Amino acid sequence: MTARQLTDNRRLPLFLIWILLLVAGLGIGTVSGIHVLLNGLGVTNLSNQSPWGLWIVVDLSSIALGAGAFTLSAAVYLFGLKRFEAIARAAVFVGLLGYSSAMIALAMDIGRPDRFYHPLIYWNVHSVLWEITMCVVLYSTVLVLELVPIIIESTPLKKNRFLHSLGHNLHRIMPLVAVAGMGLSLLHQSSLGATYGILTARPVWYSPSAPVLFILSAVAGGPALTLFLTLLAGLVLRKEMIPRDVVAGVAKLIGFACLAYLYLKLWSWASQNYYSRLPERELGIQLLNLNTPYGFTFWWGEVLLGAIVPAIIMLWPRLRNNRAILMLGTLLVIAGLVIYRWNMTLSGFTVPLNWSPGVREIAAINTYSPALVEWGVAIGIVSYGWLAYTLGVRFLKLYPEARALRRDAAEVPPSEQPQPQPAGTD
Amino acid sequence: MSDHQQSPEQQPEVQERTTILTRREFTTLLIGSGVTLAMAAFLSEPVNPVVQRLLEAQSTQEAHGAGKHHWVMVIDLSKCVGCDYCVYACQATNDTTDDMRWNIRIDDETDTGEVFHITRPCLHCAHAPCVEVCPVGATYHRDDGLVVMDYDKCIGCRYCQTACPYGVRVFNWQERSDDPNPRVPNWGRPEVPRRPRGVVEKCTFCIHRIDAGLTRGQMPGVDPEATPACVNICPVHARHFGDINDPNSNVARIIASTPTLRLREDLGTDPSVYYIPPEGLA
Repeated sequence: MTARQLTDNRRLPLFLIWILLLVAGLGIGTVSGIHVLLNGLGVTNLSNQSPWGLWIVVDLSSIALGAGAFTLSAAVYLFGLKRFEAIARAAVFVGLLGYSSAMIALAMDIGRPDRFYHPLIYWNVHSVLWEITMCVVLYSTVLVLELVPIIIESTPLKKNRFLHSLGHNLHRIMPLVAVAGMGLSLLHQSSLGATYGILTARPVWYSPSAPVLFILSAVAGGPALTLFLTLLAGLVLRKEMIPRDVVAGVAKLIGFACLAYLYLKLWSWASQNYYSRLPERELGIQLLNLNTPYGFTFWWGEVLLGAIVPAIIMLWPRLRNNRAILMLGTLLVIAGLVIYRWNMTLSGFTVPLNWSPGVREIAAINTYSPALVEWGVAIGIVSYGWLAYTLGVRFLKLYPEARALRRDAAEVPPSEQPQPQPAGTD
Repeated sequence: MSDHQQSPEQQPEVQERTTILTRREFTTLLIGSGVTLAMAAFLSEPVNPVVQRLLEAQSTQEAHGAGKHHWVMVIDLSKCVGCDYCVYACQATNDTTDDMRWNIRIDDETDTGEVFHITRPCLHCAHAPCVEVCPVGATYHRDDGLVVMDYDKCIGCRYCQTACPYGVRVFNWQERSDDPNPRVPNWGRPEVPRRPRGVVEKCTFCIHRIDAGLTRGQMPGVDPEATPACVNICPVHARHFGDINDPNSNVARIIASTPTLRLREDLGTDPSVYYIPPEGLA
């Protein structure tokens, strides 16, 4: 038995187990989804007091984590950082997975999925949600345009002359596509924060900084997810997916985005809770701290572990050059982003509305925790993302500059060169 | 990437000129002209249906006197005894379940400790947050001040529920069964069909009565057949309904002569429901 067969034999069951696990997750999601579609949203723990919950968090998070596509495309095509092209394709792919995940989550969440296209024909230009819908639809088109050349190049389709030239020409107009993508992304990524930020009736939400915080955290979190997946793929395949200087470059970008996010987050907090006071907001925050781990998760999850620690990791060369620490850092950014979306969504609903002119608290605090079926759908969506990424790494040329690690090459007897290719990239 | 050919004989100075338009210049030019064009199109309103829509939306929002009528409700909290008759009549007439009431009653107290009852229909705000946020325009302003729902457009995203400061909106979480409504027939009979699963609904000021009454020549607020069920049933006459644009209407005279308050006026929603405060509440 050669070393190559040995490694393959060891690797195959792991790969198979991983795929089976994801398929099982997909199954759970499908069953849960069908249950919801058949019986209505009444099977969830959502209520008239807390009409949005876990799925909205999934939706917001996956769009934000898909932001690596526009950030890194802009870096390559607009800011001339050509070396980032090594990761831009993967970012576009992860972006498309994020946006399609969000669409699945939304389709589950709306009461009438059969009318999903209504925002496209019945316009309310005053609604941020309308603007988000339009931008997400247009931007998904942009992502598909960016992905088409990759798919053509990675598959036998490239033998077709027409498709080959189509892919080539699409590649040529990439700067324009990147401009469109950046414009659309800046619009809807911030509008997702505005969804909460514009609601005057909810003092915990009402804030002009929410849209900017959403976009800054997305600029940090999107590339963080792409970088994490890239490093993970490299670890599993024993390859260097992208050159080291690109890893460092993306890490630095994440680090600076974390700093910008941190700056606005702290200033936003201070201006609303320290330098000024609004009795209603003060009461709301008090209620949240008494009844939920809001304060704890805000300071420890969103600020310290979600922004400060990763900023240090990303900007301190000694730390970011250690792959394990770097991966931990990207995971922290991602977790901080998800916690922010979770806190944002739930906090506004937890504090009850008070519209009565009297002095009593007219309503009890609203509690919500996701039902099993909501977790089921969420598991399904996450499994879909992982499965699609796994297959993408295996069958698409997502990393044009990937190369086998030298250490790995040394393990293989000379007769076995070139390297075994567990990912069927050819 | 490097598509353009460079001939080795060319002088460096000439080489700089070979590309008349660099990619960066081209992109900048394209974006610049795009933005200019877009702004020009946006500002020239006759061309642009979007601007026209915006202007129309603006005018309907601003105009209290846009339509011939503007329906308002006055609720006298100093008279309300908290009997829930209006709650039940609404449930029967609009066929709602106990957990989906369009009109609710709660108890509150003044700062001197006096308990009072407050009932709350939809306030039909002139600047309704629900209308502003609805992505498909399924909820909209009518010229007569009503904020209404188009159940056929609603996608059930529930952003309106999130945005409403008064919690008036309820969502159809599940298919409505054919079970009889326990408020029928003692409190009235259903006058509107049950709503389908997956859409948001809310108080309509009994729009079906208003519209049908007007075509019959009846005046809402005066003729019971054209007046919301909750107003008709109140045993202590705490609720009044009518056209604030008509200075002789019941509601216009009450609002002109009595101090009234509206809920959360600080939010700028400009509601169409006026409350006469109870004793001890200014």
